[in-house]
Amino acid sequence: MTVQELAGGLGAEILVEGDLSRPVETAYVGDLLSWVMARLPEGAAWMTVMGNLNAVAVCSLKDGACIILTENAALDDNARQRAGMEDIPVLRVEPGSYETALRVAALLGETA
Amino acid sequence: MRELALNVMDVAQNSISAGASLITLTVAEDSAADRLSITLEDNGCGMTEEQVRSVVDPFYTTRTTRKVGLGVPLFKMEAEMTGGSFSIRSQKGKGTVLEAVFVPSHVDMIPLGDISGTVRLLVTCNPTLDFLYRRSRDGREFTMDTRELRQILGEDVPLNDPEVSEWIAGYLEEQTALLKEEM
Repeated sequence: MTVQELAGGLGAEILVEGDLSRPVETAYVGDLLSWVMARLPEGAAWMTVMGNLNAVAVCSLKDGACIILTENAALDDNARQRAGMEDIPVLRVEPGSYETALRVAALLGETA
Repeated sequence: MRELALNVMDVAQNSISAGASLITLTVAEDSAADRLSITLEDNGCGMTEEQVRSVVDPFYTTRTTRKVGLGVPLFKMEAEMTGGSFSIRSQKGKGTVLEAVFVPSHVDMIPLGDISGTVRLLVTCNPTLDFLYRRSRDGREFTMDTRELRQILGEDVPLNDPEVSEWIAGYLEEQTALLKEEM
């Protein structure tokens, strides 16, 4: 499933397009950036409320597929700009990370 | 980071890479003022004004193996998230002073963690460099200066000698416990 398809399935707002054709391999949830920095799997859709430049850096460093801002979290201007430069898609949804993760898991065909 | 001590370790690497021969780490707690400040000062190669501005940008790094450097940006963010502050002063050829101030009562405060462990590791992994560690809490303080240790030990005993490392660990633990004792 591509980021574009995932965004469609979630009904997510696309804040930064980036590489929407990138396949989503898995997903990860986390807000403590240093923690995520050590654990974000490559190709993951990453659900977080951290919409700042450091979050974009973490996603770039770990080669995540996209950032999904949950609970309508804000995206800083410099983060938006940098995500565009780095080709990282940034999506935004209203539900919280738990609910969003359940939907992502269903869309990715992952079961507990 | 999940412990500020790990962040100090990460940021101290910048001082080491900058060719510092003396690194001073000051950790000061003030309960009444609700402040914890961590200051790292080195006599390394220093930075230009432009470099100082760019080190807080995670997409700036002196490393060539990857294009992202998060040590300083995360440290700054963690301080600011508690309502604290962050500053860097640097002079080319003289060195750099980095100060992060935290508000420990804030809900987003990250625990200081094992700062003594960080100091011990910095000393034992860099036996040719000197470290001055100053730790204070509500008016009490202690210091550990590797230049003094060298004088006592003489030239033949390196700072990464296992017994010296053990002694450092014990000293830091004992002194830190004294700081925390009820007045």
